[in-house]
Amino acid sequence: MERITTGIIDDPASNRFLVPRRVFTDRAVFEREYAAIFDTCWLYLGHASELPAPGSFVTRKVARRPILFTRDRDGEFHALFNACPHRGATVCRERSGKSPAFMCLYHGWTFGSDGHLKTLPGSSGYPEGFKTDPQKQMVHVPRMERFGDFFFISFARDGEDLATYLAGAGDYLKLVSEHSASGMQIVGGTQEYAIRGNWKLLSENSFDGYHAACNHSTYLEYLKSANGALSATPLAGEAFDLGNGHAVVEYSAPWGRPIASWVPLWGEEGKAEIDGVYAELVSRVGAPRADRIARKNRNMVIFPNLVVNDIMAITVRTYFPTAPDYMEINAWALAPREESEWRRKYRLYNFTEFLGPGGFATPDDVEAIEKCQQGYATAGDALYNDISKGMIRSDAPSFDDEAQMRCFWREWDRRVTAAKVMADA
Amino acid sequence: MIDDTLMLRLRVEDLLFEEADLLDSWRLKEWLALYTEDAWYHVPPSDVDGDTADPDTSLFYIIDDAVRMRERVSRLSKIGAHSEHPRSKVRHIVSNVRVRRDGAVIRARSSFIIYRSKDITSDAFVGHYIHEIVERDGALRIAGKKCVLDMEALRPHARISIIL
Repeated sequence: MERITTGIIDDPASNRFLVPRRVFTDRAVFEREYAAIFDTCWLYLGHASELPAPGSFVTRKVARRPILFTRDRDGEFHALFNACPHRGATVCRERSGKSPAFMCLYHGWTFGSDGHLKTLPGSSGYPEGFKTDPQKQMVHVPRMERFGDFFFISFARDGEDLATYLAGAGDYLKLVSEHSASGMQIVGGTQEYAIRGNWKLLSENSFDGYHAACNHSTYLEYLKSANGALSATPLAGEAFDLGNGHAVVEYSAPWGRPIASWVPLWGEEGKAEIDGVYAELVSRVGAPRADRIARKNRNMVIFPNLVVNDIMAITVRTYFPTAPDYMEINAWALAPREESEWRRKYRLYNFTEFLGPGGFATPDDVEAIEKCQQGYATAGDALYNDISKGMIRSDAPSFDDEAQMRCFWREWDRRVTAAKVMADA
Repeated sequence: MIDDTLMLRLRVEDLLFEEADLLDSWRLKEWLALYTEDAWYHVPPSDVDGDTADPDTSLFYIIDDAVRMRERVSRLSKIGAHSEHPRSKVRHIVSNVRVRRDGAVIRARSSFIIYRSKDITSDAFVGHYIHEIVERDGALRIAGKKCVLDMEALRPHARISIIL
């Protein structure tokens, strides 16, 4: 196995953690990431609620590959490569829907929701047994597993199972599922955008507690002036290493949370409802866990590219690079199935207040990421990013230190340097 | 002889062109003054039917009520609104205006192309507007507008940091 060096300097003795800027710009690093990370790690595919019934399907791209995510007539879930075994054309060309079969537009080969070839036009031109030949069926993604209602796939045939891979992140996925007594669901509507920056900058940014005060000053000012959108709760909390490159920051914050942190903007009627939601939580999961669910915010990155941020609303976000300086992002809202119309409305109002391309905060994150990428044109002379904040502390890392990013980078470094599939750059 | 329908369309076009001009020249407080006190401004995502999507049940890009519209304008006046500091060059092209009276409300549909240019890139937003317009003291005011993106995704765009 050929080892390569990423150039990351990780030196706790001198409180130094430095990431060379070429990892954001170098084409060879980008290709190595596909082989060493996206082609081997467990990657988020979708949520069970997106396929509510037998025959439901969704198409999406995961790590450059078109995937058809389906439920067959028995309700079983399948992740298929969305390419016809005949000539390779995309079989299902719709984004989502319900269908018992999928017909390729080119020659009419038709497949069931489980990928098997149902109809072969002109079958007299083929030998007996052709139609049932395993190579003439749509190909399943090598591995698919679910953790609760979250479905993941891996393009590697071998490797650790999903629960082992998720390590400590599993409990946090459980925590976000416990917002509901009846199950969580993806709300309709997807935010689909792109950033002209390296994908790792979004992993960093998604749980960066340090940038809020400067980068999001106008959001915090908005909360102050928007008539009761702000409580007296301070921003304070810790970062936790969840293993395998996953990490989370868990903290209190002054904004309202539809899972039971009331703000004056929501009025007395809203207070009664939020109190009721909290009481239900306590009776179901006990006071300590209810308090954590209701009052604490969590920004989590599951290595390499799944963000589950449980903040003023819940966003599930994933992103893939198509070049060192460009990534495509999909973001969804996750919510309790049973919540009232009032709570759903405020959840979505809250979501769009901060999150997404039209929010009062995300555009400034994007600006920061794109400006970083532009800054890396200087990489020849200005070599390193500094990710050392908090290394001097002997107690727990603060939510606004950079310990969570060091978890990400150590795993990234471990995987990229261990990659046997790539020749050295 | 100009009939009532044509006259109404001309008045609405004047209003829409005035709105476009104010947004292009970043006169955002004057833009806000075109709207009623209880106005709204919505941008649905592109994987739902934007004409019928409901912001109470579907995730949107933007669901501003009057308070948030005011705050959006206030935010965009600050240097801390990093994504629009320095400001982008913006150009709204509005056309294909069709107008219909619906009781006290005038409903207008129109097409737009909006360019946002900054640094090294220009992004185009393509779609259609649905304006709800009312008469107030003999003048037309906008009660709400929905901007439906006729795009597959907001790509390669990263943000709707300007007002569409």
